Amino acid sequence: MGDVFSNLGLGFGVVFQFVQWTPAFLGGASIPIPVNILLCLIGALVGTLVGVLPGIGTIATVAMLLPITFGLPPVGALIMLAGIYYGAQYGGSTTSILVNIPGEAGSVVTALDGFQMAKKGRAGPALAIAAIGSFFAGCVATVLIALLGAPLTKIALAFGPAEYFSLMVLGLIFAVVLAKGSVLKAIAMIVMGLLLSMVGSDIETGASRMAFNIPELADGLGFATLAMGLFGFAEIIRNLDAGGETDRKLVQEKVSGLMPTRQDLKETAPAILRGTGLGSILGILPGGGAVIASFAAYTLEKKVAKDPSKFGHGEIRGVAAPESANNAAAQTSFIPLLTLGIPPNAVMALMVGAMTIHGIVPGPQVMQKQPELVWGMIASMWVGNLMLLIINLPLVGIWVRLLRVPYRLMFPSIVVFCCIGIYSVNNAPTDVMIAGAFGLVGYWLIKHDFEPAPLLLGMVLGPLMEENLRRALLISRGDWSVFLTRPLSAVLMAIAAALLILAVLPSLRKKRDEVFVESEN
Amino acid sequence: MNATPGHAPVKSIIPKWVRNPQEFVGGIALMAIAVFALWASSDLQGMRGFSFGAGTAPRMFGFLLLGLGALITVVGVVTEGPHLAKYHWRGPFFVTVAILTFAFTIRPMGMIFAAMAAFLIAACGSPETRWTETLIVAVCLTAFCALLFPYALGLPLQLLPTFMIR
Repeated sequence: MGDVFSNLGLGFGVVFQFVQWTPAFLGGASIPIPVNILLCLIGALVGTLVGVLPGIGTIATVAMLLPITFGLPPVGALIMLAGIYYGAQYGGSTTSILVNIPGEAGSVVTALDGFQMAKKGRAGPALAIAAIGSFFAGCVATVLIALLGAPLTKIALAFGPAEYFSLMVLGLIFAVVLAKGSVLKAIAMIVMGLLLSMVGSDIETGASRMAFNIPELADGLGFATLAMGLFGFAEIIRNLDAGGETDRKLVQEKVSGLMPTRQDLKETAPAILRGTGLGSILGILPGGGAVIASFAAYTLEKKVAKDPSKFGHGEIRGVAAPESANNAAAQTSFIPLLTLGIPPNAVMALMVGAMTIHGIVPGPQVMQKQPELVWGMIASMWVGNLMLLIINLPLVGIWVRLLRVPYRLMFPSIVVFCCIGIYSVNNAPTDVMIAGAFGLVGYWLIKHDFEPAPLLLGMVLGPLMEENLRRALLISRGDWSVFLTRPLSAVLMAIAAALLILAVLPSLRKKRDEVFVESEN
Repeated sequence: MNATPGHAPVKSIIPKWVRNPQEFVGGIALMAIAVFALWASSDLQGMRGFSFGAGTAPRMFGFLLLGLGALITVVGVVTEGPHLAKYHWRGPFFVTVAILTFAFTIRPMGMIFAAMAAFLIAACGSPETRWTETLIVAVCLTAFCALLFPYALGLPLQLLPTFMIR
């Protein structure tokens, strides 16, 4: 227990660090500046700003804003990225409530009851409850990360290559089971991601693989490049198809009466608690993350409610539960990343990309060698949530105005911003072209009902998986049974197999589909 | 997107016995990608004794994708499903051209030109574009980016065309 407090203390120390700033115009006088808090604030603000724009989900937002953190020191950059992540999530819920356009899959459920509340003139309480629920969930998740971080790291250090490989298989299977739509297609997307990750030079032999002597491909396909193409450009093209303007009806009434009533708070308190609990658990599971958490929390709320028919007609609990769950999951999904070095979902995969750019290899070693980085980030999550609560409630008016920007002006701006962002990663024009090509690929995938998120996950886990597979087989002298004879690895594999069987069983499939169908009614 | 089963398009190159064209075509495309990957990694070394060569993993996943693609194709034949979604050429075309223009002009012409050009070309992708407001926004956005990236964020971006710097 003492460990946890000293670790959190270290983290808050990093967050509240002051840097003496001595500008020339003050003539030698220096002002202390809380740099990391400012970065967190800017991240949360910019994240919300971009997240609010309809048609840009969390993944695209994080990918798009990745370049603005390049010039910062690693701790600052990660704190800012974390801020961007929550900001984007909060922005997504704002659009779902106000205009019924969920910016990302995670806030689809929020739109169900949130938009109905907004139509009844209760947009204020809906937004406030979303922020309060998220903040509460954030507090719990921060403590949870602090509690679980150290013990999980110890377990991770006992992992050999075989265990790591099995764990990643389990993670990918989770991603498949929890994903929307066909299991077969999700697996295919993961395998395609794995294949894409092999482009570039081989880690062991250095041989150039599938690079066709193109120098820019020698280092492999860039992650931010791919994410920006698949999520940024593809979304734009898709939205242009749908005829951006027609389905954007704004809530014209003024957002008034921000504060929820005492009655609202009393009603939502248990919902927030349940959502937080469910979200925290689902977030830790690899492949889970925010999307599934909010769906599950909504379904649970409907099951427990005395009068389920109210849901879908502006029930405030239908906003509180998924919003808390989604934020709790967003945060606890940092646990596998920070302790095991395995990104459990696509956003975390982008975080890995960001860390690698700063020369940090996520995993148990980081926890031990650079504790100030990990704990600083964990502490900043709590601070970031607090800031969202403080800044967003007064700023709702601005976000609403932002929504009035017509899509015809917005989409060219996004294209340009993405182009500059991708170019600035490596100063390579080829990257921009590759992203453009993946934009078209992404468009095609959407048209054929393939989900791009598992592809990105496969792409990130690819190198790690291959490396550990090769090492495990080298140690076992080519004996494939090593994955089943080492007890820890065998357990992980057994869970993975059981999950996969369950997922294709018809009865469970139906249940799973039901959860997702909720959103379409 | 709006394709509903039962609303057959007038002409279709997909044979009638395919009941779920979306899956069918998707599966075939995946198989094509797998074959391409297998071909591209065919020159790489395979297993050496019990240790993996550079080409082992790509081949493994290539065959896996080939199998999965085949399965999806079969599913496309035996299950009922939506018709192929309609593609529009205008959005994808202009957005792609804008991206390519940016990629080709950023080095020789600098960011100001590239961003402007990309913005205006991308704007052609929507029939709703009104040119006066688009021009104003293009100028403002370019100015904003020109200040944000090189100055506020300190990224090494060249603003002006190379011939103007010399």
